[in-house]
Amino acid sequence: MRVELNEVIWIEQHVLSLAELAEISHLPAPVLEELMDCGAIEPMGPATGELRFGPAALKAARIASRLRADFELETQAVAVVLGLLDRVDELHAQLRALQARQPRSHR
Amino acid sequence: MKYKDYYSALGLERGATDDQIKKAYRRLARKYHPDVSKEPDAEAKFKEIAEAYQTLKDPEKRAAYDQLGTHPPGEEFQPPPSWQQQYSGAPFSAEDLNLDLSDLFAHLRGESRRGPRGAMRGRDFEVAVPITIDEAYHGTQVELDLNMPEYDEQGQLRRVPHAFTARVPKGATDGQRLRVPGKGGKGINGGPDGDLYLNISLRPHPLYRASGHDLYLDLPLAPWEAALGTSIEVPSPGGMLRLKVPAGTQAARQLRLPGRGLPKPREGQGDLYAIVQIVLPSVITEPERALYQQLAAASAFDPRAHFASEAGHAR
Repeated sequence: MRVELNEVIWIEQHVLSLAELAEISHLPAPVLEELMDCGAIEPMGPATGELRFGPAALKAARIASRLRADFELETQAVAVVLGLLDRVDELHAQLRALQARQPRSHR
Repeated sequence: MKYKDYYSALGLERGATDDQIKKAYRRLARKYHPDVSKEPDAEAKFKEIAEAYQTLKDPEKRAAYDQLGTHPPGEEFQPPPSWQQQYSGAPFSAEDLNLDLSDLFAHLRGESRRGPRGAMRGRDFEVAVPITIDEAYHGTQVELDLNMPEYDEQGQLRRVPHAFTARVPKGATDGQRLRVPGKGGKGINGGPDGDLYLNISLRPHPLYRASGHDLYLDLPLAPWEAALGTSIEVPSPGGMLRLKVPAGTQAARQLRLPGRGLPKPREGQGDLYAIVQIVLPSVITEPERALYQQLAAASAFDPRAHFASEAGHAR
């Protein structure tokens, strides 16, 4: 029998507390705080009251978690890699946008 | 279960030192890690490498693996009962053909001897979900068949098939992810269950190309249509649309059809762009040729007027 998955959430719609972000990304909160100190992970909006994290932070935290586990990277190095991956993603998106605008017969 | 050669996965001989194992893993991880690699099959490759390393880097797991002897990769084999008694932290179901070699080692005592086993969060699973542009437009239902390692009532490790259906709401586009909380691997020792992630990608479409929620469509026009203007029908995921092509439309011009692209998750809709191409028939008839000749004679248009002036500057 097929089980219907009802609770399906777009990553884009996540708004998380620090504890939730730590839980979902499997990163300990102190590591997340260190990544925030480096500016690699940023909370949303003005820093009043409890910190809230959006989809960009979740994406970064999940990658950071894998990089730490699979490469045994220090937090500072993780921050640098995250910055570069961001840049790669940005360029990739630009490239895709340009390719979409190219007429097919000219590619 | 199928035998896997963890040494050859890392490109090593059986007698490799710990240092060689570490170096081989590092070199291959850098090349194939899915977060940093653009190799086409990086994900599968890295899984093999990581699995081999997880087992070989731990002296106890490595000893247990070596005790299994050597078999040709992919050969069906069963670890003898004595092996299970000596090494396995988790009893497994010997007749379960789906059980993966990695399941055995993941649950082997190994390093975890350091202390009492605490509660562990279940693994996250990621599944690639390719959908068509039409499915992204309307939303769709996908069927997922996953095999997850789990303990049964007898505390035996088994591979349990899970059949899910998930609704992909409209608004999906390439590279977006959906998270299904608690539907990943089962937590261990009372830990919470992992999550399931659906990675959406768009299959190539014969007509449209997607960029975010915008769609691009090639719009071929005959030279006279571009020159005189016309009203034509163009396809869109929502159905045919009438588009007015103004007189004097140049090639490569983008005609924007606002709100006719892919819907966005919460509100709004991307745009559809029709990119003008001026195309010529590959064969022309005699009367057509005569008309072109008449046009050539009548027209004073010089499409290369700028050549003369620009070339003049260069001199």
